[in-house]
Amino acid sequence: MFLLGALSSVADAIGSGAGTGGLNLQLNAGAIAPEAAVLIALLTCLLVDLAGEKAASRWVPPICYAGLGSALVLLALQWNTPDLQPAFVGSFLADNLAIAFRAVVAASTLISLLLSWRYVEQSGTPVGEYAGILLAATLGAMFLCGATDLVTIFVSLETLSVSSYLLAGYMKRDARSSEAALKYLLVGSAAAAVFLYGASLLYGLTGGATGLDAVALALRTSASPVTALALVFVLATVAFKIAAVPFHQWTPDVYEGSPTPVVAFLSVGSKAAGFALALRILVGCFESFDAQWKLLFTVLAVLSMVLGNVVALAQTSMKRMLAYSSIGQAGFVMIGLVCGTEDGFAAMVLYMAAYLFMNLGAFACIILFSLRTGSDRIADYAGLYQKDPLITLGLSLCLLSLGGIPPMLGFFGKIYLFFAGWADHQYLLVVVGLVTSVVSIYYYISVIKMMVVKEPQEASDVVKAYPAINWSVAGLPALRTALVGCVIVTAVGGILSNPLFTWASQAVTGTPMLVQAIG
Amino acid sequence: MTIASITQLICFVALSATLVLGALGVVLLPNIVYSAFLLGGVFLSVAGLYLLLNASFVAAAQVLVYVGAVNVLILFAIMLVNKKENLAAIPGLGLRRLLSGAVCGGLFLLLIRVAFTTPWALPGPEAVGEEATIRIGEHLFSDYLLPFELASVLLLMSMIGAIVLARRDVLSSDVITGEAVDQGLIEKERTPLLLENSPR
Repeated sequence: MFLLGALSSVADAIGSGAGTGGLNLQLNAGAIAPEAAVLIALLTCLLVDLAGEKAASRWVPPICYAGLGSALVLLALQWNTPDLQPAFVGSFLADNLAIAFRAVVAASTLISLLLSWRYVEQSGTPVGEYAGILLAATLGAMFLCGATDLVTIFVSLETLSVSSYLLAGYMKRDARSSEAALKYLLVGSAAAAVFLYGASLLYGLTGGATGLDAVALALRTSASPVTALALVFVLATVAFKIAAVPFHQWTPDVYEGSPTPVVAFLSVGSKAAGFALALRILVGCFESFDAQWKLLFTVLAVLSMVLGNVVALAQTSMKRMLAYSSIGQAGFVMIGLVCGTEDGFAAMVLYMAAYLFMNLGAFACIILFSLRTGSDRIADYAGLYQKDPLITLGLSLCLLSLGGIPPMLGFFGKIYLFFAGWADHQYLLVVVGLVTSVVSIYYYISVIKMMVVKEPQEASDVVKAYPAINWSVAGLPALRTALVGCVIVTAVGGILSNPLFTWASQAVTGTPMLVQAIG
Repeated sequence: MTIASITQLICFVALSATLVLGALGVVLLPNIVYSAFLLGGVFLSVAGLYLLLNASFVAAAQVLVYVGAVNVLILFAIMLVNKKENLAAIPGLGLRRLLSGAVCGGLFLLLIRVAFTTPWALPGPEAVGEEATIRIGEHLFSDYLLPFELASVLLLMSMIGAIVLARRDVLSSDVITGEAVDQGLIEKERTPLLLENSPR
């Protein structure tokens, strides 16, 4: 940890040298040691890539594992820091909330990369740059989780977004991928501009400070109309990032056109960063506007749950179905945000962690299926049970978990969310959540039925022509590891979820901002 | 009223008029080349407003970055792809324009109302003037160090991404298995798009 912290020693020296007056300019650069590990991996990937495509496909995967693995270890070491100090003169705070969400982001990148290698090589796009851009997106998302300053928030948000646009358009010879990138770029830039407008209004209210604590102080003392405007603008950006209805229009097209491993990252990593931003800004700053933003988020949550889950019923493409289902899942997580109790926040963290495993497990299965068959239509999964039991079993377990069927991890996450909502008298949200869960179970089960129940002669042409199962090609063993790992955690994690509950409630109690909000 | 303040007022009115008219032109003119040139005018008048506010560094940066780089890039892009093409008419265009105009007008009225009802702390802090560069430098290496360093990652990534999207040499075969590849999504579409048939 000290070695990686020493990376920033140059910056440290500059920072302490530029001390103005009696200000205490302690950098605490160790707080960003996990990000430093990711950054080193990123630069090494780019350097290795110079040696040619063969060397890159050999060396880039281990470098990424090392970087993200050490980032996760460093995050674990930061957990429950006794004497929490803001890092970089108030730009960054490594509290337990930030650590939990950064861990979700880093883990989602790690798993997405495990899923990516074969996909990227089979499509003939360069691996080194792919890993580099994905790591940059991770870096932006990780900084976003801990940023406590409007400028840092904006720069990290842009790092995440620009890398996401590039990844969405990475299969540049495919018109759908280019379309996805262009749509994402246009809508995302508009959202960023709206955020910047809101942030500039907040900056004006503080009278020239950009720290979130200064913003919170200014908002507590003034209740002018401009505050409400800033709230709406900031909220729109957050809703865009977590794809809440009605800011969701980009989601299905972007998810359909992007390379599938990228969709896996966007649906978990990018969303986790969006929720961390929501907690930091809305709970941390807008506490005097509690009733207003909670009302807005209630509306967003109800719309997301209803529209996401109902429109998912009509989808014929697996990727589009998971896109709409992820909109619905974001609606469930928002219940925890609206509660604003200790249980609500803990349930959010817990559900994000559960969602990481079950969603990425489902993506692992559909990536493997499309690698073998070149299709992602739901109808093409008919009769898959005969040919590929592993995909069938994995996808079934993950979809059941997403739907919230009892022994799985997703059930415990969902029941905790609903429990927290019920305890906080959010009856409307809980009832809508329950009803839409039933709807979601219907379309998840219809996929499983398609795979399992069909007779061999009813199988789709794609499944009839299914290739022999071969794990020897480089990149496939990594995919298999990710798939099996995610499915095991999804299936068994529910029974052994006690450590997860402890972890989630520690994430809340170890965060001064949330403790104050629960207060 | 002194001569200085009258000059300032005249400059402000002139710059604002150019700004508003130019911005309207950017949005409303049908010819995209006119729009691009007017955008340059808009950027320049914004730089003028910064100068009036005694923020010379921001004004210089505005001219260098927006007029010198962004706008020139936009013009290049327009001139490189400027071919006549008759696009299919969008159904209900009039209604769409009316609706978006109403939304924009509503937002404008809301902003005006908020701007007038908010009790602004006037006059604001004194402008630092010539010392601005020193102050910016101090901030970049103290409390804004993290975003400043992170911006370098952002720029590096945008550069690499631009190269990836623009470069022509592509892999024609899978590095591992040697099979032919086409740099498209693995999930193939059933109906090929027009673009795939066009010469590469």
